[in-house]
Amino acid sequence: MRKTFGIVMIALSAALPALAQEKGWLARETAREYREQARFPESSRALKPGDADPVKEKRTATAQTQRGPEDRGPALSVRAESVSFEVGRPIRLYATVEDGIALEVTGEIVGAAGDLVATFAYGDDGRGIDKKAGDGVWSARVKMPEGLQPELAASYMVKVRSRLLDGDVRESVGGFLYSNPAAHLTGRYRDGLRDGSLVVSAEMDVTRAGRFHLAATLYSMAGEPVGTAQAAAELEPGRRWIELSFYGLMFHDRQVAGPFRLGTVSLATTGGMPNALNDLVENAHVTRAWQLEQMTTRPFGNPRLLEAASRLEKQ
Amino acid sequence: MRGRRLAAAAVLALALFAIAGQASAQPCLIFVHGKQTNTNTFTTYTSARNYWVNGSNDFVRTATKELATSYYVVGYNGTRPYWEPQSAGEVANEIVNATNGGADGGGRRCARTFANGGTFWVVAHSMGNTVMDYVLGNNDASDPNFNANGPYDQVAARISLVISTGGAHRGSQGADAVCGNNNPFCNFIAAFIQSCDDATYWLRSSDDVQVRTYASAPAKTVWLTGGYEAIFGASACLSGEDDGVVQYASIFACNGSATASYDNSNVCNNSNKQEASGFRNLDACHENHDDERNASDSDVRKAIPGGNWLCNGVPCAPNTTVQSSMTTARYITLLY
Repeated sequence: MRKTFGIVMIALSAALPALAQEKGWLARETAREYREQARFPESSRALKPGDADPVKEKRTATAQTQRGPEDRGPALSVRAESVSFEVGRPIRLYATVEDGIALEVTGEIVGAAGDLVATFAYGDDGRGIDKKAGDGVWSARVKMPEGLQPELAASYMVKVRSRLLDGDVRESVGGFLYSNPAAHLTGRYRDGLRDGSLVVSAEMDVTRAGRFHLAATLYSMAGEPVGTAQAAAELEPGRRWIELSFYGLMFHDRQVAGPFRLGTVSLATTGGMPNALNDLVENAHVTRAWQLEQMTTRPFGNPRLLEAASRLEKQ
Repeated sequence: MRGRRLAAAAVLALALFAIAGQASAQPCLIFVHGKQTNTNTFTTYTSARNYWVNGSNDFVRTATKELATSYYVVGYNGTRPYWEPQSAGEVANEIVNATNGGADGGGRRCARTFANGGTFWVVAHSMGNTVMDYVLGNNDASDPNFNANGPYDQVAARISLVISTGGAHRGSQGADAVCGNNNPFCNFIAAFIQSCDDATYWLRSSDDVQVRTYASAPAKTVWLTGGYEAIFGASACLSGEDDGVVQYASIFACNGSATASYDNSNVCNNSNKQEASGFRNLDACHENHDDERNASDSDVRKAIPGGNWLCNGVPCAPNTTVQSSMTTARYITLLY
């Protein structure tokens, strides 16, 4: 049977130019990847050397850039200071013009239903939140009107218009989340070992019952991200703890021992969309000096991924 | 003479056995369409099926090797945000139905159920991929929106992989233009994002609506391919290469800004995706956003960084022409 299949493969390959795809490659490569990933539970993954901190990346605002027609001419880039702002915090917004000079930059904050919430002007005069006059980074600080406190969170669009020195106009669209989270981290953490994994617990002050998601990245004391862990739980109001289990094998993969630094921690109130995102907490906690020998060397053996790999290998 | 007949019969039996074995080992293909301007694909199977058809060109027919491979066509409400019950929830329920051997709206069903050892590959276009990112990134109890409105965990457990064509993993700059009601040089009249409906609003490129903000890394690998054939009027406002609706940064699920400018030579490799794992490059094709899903443009295919084409046994250099005339649907037939 394999020989027959092989002949078909050769015939197909010969029909293509000198370039070829190895038949069955996709299934085999996917299976190989699943066997590698199966060494860890879905809730905790090792990071490879040089990997960025995924928890931080998800909470770092990116720029939305618009150039002129056909991707040419001056570009207007807009961004918020963070992906989400907690209720009551001022909204800090930035705009830059590349390959051109802006005479003025104005903005509108618009709700998901198209409702106009605020109009404002950006400044590049070194006053207020603008750090340096004339550096091309235009800044704005906007206070959201009273009465817009969402039950959980609301998405807002920021429409930005820039009038350029050459008379042209550039427009770009950004956005931010306005969040009303039902819990906050208290700043209390503790760490211990369980079944060869490092368990870091974080205390939360829950003000409304709900579902909460916690994620964190653990760093070596040399400053390298080592791995991530996440957990979610339904919690009632009061002081509550959520545990993050960093699977022990990650420390052997990276050959690092404690103490470790809890470099970034993100909390969200979920259970509805959009989720309410708390501000990212950095450098939250330093663990005790756990030894490498205390951590498990046993692959987790994620059964779902191993099953998927096995089926792909039979294809 | 009798011996010859016996030998011939044995050869024939072996050949039939080989073909049967090959067919049963093939995956069932599950097709998930993209953004819609009405609810037709949700309410009528014909619309969902025709999403993949243009005249005599039929993506499903081609990708399934003239229907020799079993398949299932999903229809969901493509006017709703990717995370809602009628989008993510419906897609999840239909995929589980497919893996249980249930029929789609047209009576087609997968040849083998999951319980009987079947394998299932999802082929998704455009917003169908945003939906799949949400489902596969919320399949575990530790994920932020675990099983929010459907059996995401079963979907993740049962499908083997996703093939993404023209995926809006990071949204679309076209949605920015439409919802911003700006940039007169942009024209999306002919596209699925012609108005800022709720689905389009949630396909913008800002972080507050991005699927990665509300999901973890996908539980199963998403293999990425997409087009770089521009659409007049629409491509004018998309950064870098694009298929006329979705820019490369989104098609190839890149990290950083969703509006970064990429081409076939420098598009993000497998180490620079929107998640730390779960996204891998395949290739690029000279197709526009429609061609990617209706197999109507058999055109050039190009290698991209980290992609899967081999040249003389090693990965082809990015932007190498690897095929002179091949649709994405036909390309998929090479993958299984």
